[in-house]
Amino acid sequence: MLLSRFWYLILALALGLFASGLYLAQTVYNRASRDSMEQALSADTQVVKWYLNDDARRRSSLLLKVCLDETIRKELHKASSKDEKVPQDVRDRTRAALRKLVDEMPAEYQFSSLFAIDQLGRVIGQVGFDQAAGIENFDMGGYAIVADALHGWVRDDAWVFDDRIYLVVARPVEVDTAQMPAGAVVGLRIVDTSYAKQLSKRSGATVGFFAGGTVKAKASPDGVSSTQLDTIVADIKNLAQDDTYKEKGTSKPKILMDDIGVIYSKIPGEAWDLGAGYVVGRSASVVKNPFDLLQLADAKEKKSQPWWIIALIVVLGAGLGLVFSLFEHTRPLRILKAEAERLAKGEIDMLQVSKFRGLYRKIASDLNDGTDKVAAKGGVPRKAADLESVLGPIPAQPEMSAFSFPVDGASPSTSGPLRVPPLRESAPKMPVQMPAPKPSPDSKPQMPAPKPDSPKMPAPKPADAMTPNLAPSEDDDDATVVSAVPPEILEASATGAHAAVEEAGEIAEWHNTFEEFLRTKKQCGEPTSGLTFEKFQVTLRKNREQLIAKTKCKRVKFTVYVKDGRAALKASPVR
Amino acid sequence: MAQHLSPRSPGRLLRAALWGIVLLVPGVALAATVKGQVKGHNELINPVWEESARPDTNRYTWREPSPTVRSDYRRLFGLAPKELCIAGVSKNKVEPPKVPILVLVGGGRTTPVTLVVAPGTRLRFRNNDPFKHRLYAVNEASFSPADIAMAAERDWTAPGPGTYELRDELAPSLRSWIVVKEGVASIGYPNRQGQFFLTLEPGEYQLEYFFAGKPIGTPRPVSVGGQDLDITREPIQVALPKDKNASGDAEKK
Repeated sequence: MLLSRFWYLILALALGLFASGLYLAQTVYNRASRDSMEQALSADTQVVKWYLNDDARRRSSLLLKVCLDETIRKELHKASSKDEKVPQDVRDRTRAALRKLVDEMPAEYQFSSLFAIDQLGRVIGQVGFDQAAGIENFDMGGYAIVADALHGWVRDDAWVFDDRIYLVVARPVEVDTAQMPAGAVVGLRIVDTSYAKQLSKRSGATVGFFAGGTVKAKASPDGVSSTQLDTIVADIKNLAQDDTYKEKGTSKPKILMDDIGVIYSKIPGEAWDLGAGYVVGRSASVVKNPFDLLQLADAKEKKSQPWWIIALIVVLGAGLGLVFSLFEHTRPLRILKAEAERLAKGEIDMLQVSKFRGLYRKIASDLNDGTDKVAAKGGVPRKAADLESVLGPIPAQPEMSAFSFPVDGASPSTSGPLRVPPLRESAPKMPVQMPAPKPSPDSKPQMPAPKPDSPKMPAPKPADAMTPNLAPSEDDDDATVVSAVPPEILEASATGAHAAVEEAGEIAEWHNTFEEFLRTKKQCGEPTSGLTFEKFQVTLRKNREQLIAKTKCKRVKFTVYVKDGRAALKASPVR
Repeated sequence: MAQHLSPRSPGRLLRAALWGIVLLVPGVALAATVKGQVKGHNELINPVWEESARPDTNRYTWREPSPTVRSDYRRLFGLAPKELCIAGVSKNKVEPPKVPILVLVGGGRTTPVTLVVAPGTRLRFRNNDPFKHRLYAVNEASFSPADIAMAAERDWTAPGPGTYELRDELAPSLRSWIVVKEGVASIGYPNRQGQFFLTLEPGEYQLEYFFAGKPIGTPRPVSVGGQDLDITREPIQVALPKDKNASGDAEKK
């Protein structure tokens, strides 16, 4: 029972550990996934930053052709030499030249707008910025990037007009190296969806540009939805409280909606101070519950599992459980069943308690007690119990009650004298084996009366010799009560003839026991050569005397049984 | 005494507004023109551009000099016609003009950038850009941020003498200065060569120079009679060559 219960406990613990492991795996997996996502976000942010820088340089290189254009240089020089109104023809020629140059640019790097600006900051010509077409004296000289270009610097910038983001590059237009630049050309690229797509395609990042608290453009690589960036709108306003973002221009990775991570970055330029920037996003592969982990595995991963180990664990677990069940449940039940069948057939008159363990032993003991009580009330008398059934398992020699006999070739140590363990005070009293008087149909079960036509008790067979109790003792309720003692017995007892009769009967019984002992030894594969009845009866007598001396019983009954694969004898005191 | 602006200021609208002021102010017929010359104005570094050029302001991802442009020109000096304000300041109290002075907002700055006016002068800001602006005066509640749509105007009168810095919430490069000073009778702006004109009624004046809201150089007293006055023979040094501290006493030699 103990093993089974332990096995159930082990199984429960294993199940608990398995569940705990799954939950732990979910937590660890989600954390690892988020860590990985944050690293990827940092990498994406860096990639987008590099892309913007590289893109600005490429575009400024494209402006070189504009700056070197003869028409542009000439017309800007003319405009810069006049503080008064710029002639319209100068503006027209400049605009035409710009248009031609813009058209010649590769589509990927084409500017949204291109401006030619004189030394005073006046826009002499422009294409692509139609909203300024009707403005007289449209001026751009106050912007730092334009001032830089007019003073001989090449750089980039980012503007925000009406919540639209423009990436800007500017170069000086030089006519004479001894003079200030004649003007500058400024190229604008509006950040729209096409630009975001281009950036995303090149960088592999999901990116969105925001200004004025809303996302202006977003895109993601093929196979990835950019809708994950829709959730950032509510979060953009929180950037004002993000110290890292305000100071360094890049936020720490932020987790939105459990599985979407983003990093916000400011765009260098005037946009830096205008709350414009870009955001990169990635979704972490998180699982909602432990069982989702199983769905993450693909067929290949499932196939690569060490199935033989898993099968071995299952087989071993089930096997151990079955073994424990057989050992602790099925086997004792079968023993009980077999013993009960033997009891029912009359092969035994009581269950051998030592054959059982645990609860079954208690059951067997209780059954025996019950049987005894039934017998005491007139049931069928029982054969004498052996010592082991009363006292429990008898220790091995020399402590065991069972004893063996010296045989040729056997070790002397195995043929020591029988030692009978002292009787436990709690041990039940031994029922006396008595010849069962045939009860008359009308006789009372408690007190079978002798037959009227046979007043004399027939002489008992030697094997059934007994020391009769003429009257039941007060402390022996289970003893069979005999109504009368035959006079022959009383006479024999008085004259000593009864002792001779009893001795003769005992010798005859020992012969039977000897024969059974030899037969049992042979069945057990033990040697029997050298074992004679003379030696056998000497040993029995010796042990009988010892047992009688110890237990004060009238006589001793020996029975043969098999213990640990060897034939052994049990000495049963008979009172 | 009326306030006059130099006709050399660029921009047709601005010039028309200035001429309007001149025509509307009584007694202008008696005024004389003071013709002057400043030098060293190309040494006046625009603080906004200079600040923007610093890497720590995050205004660019990269910035490189064009190797074919001389280093003298790569210094970010201001555009005098818009940024160097020359004021004729009288010791007497001057009434503000009855019509507002027009200030154009566009191109990342206002025109003019620095403006010196008498107390009570009304200023009219007109958006000359195709997108909105949101001007405000730094630490001045009377001119809080408010949108100015394309071609729209917004009036403001400075509450009293002092220097007011104007900024735009939508254009970080836009920074202007309004200097309100008692006795400002006329203001003018030099051209790129440093020549300027002031229209002043007869009287005693000090010519004072302001750049980025701060006075620069040493004021020069002029006495205006009934005739035009030419002081170009004695150019006014507003800044010393290579002098990083433009507000220093330029004429001290």
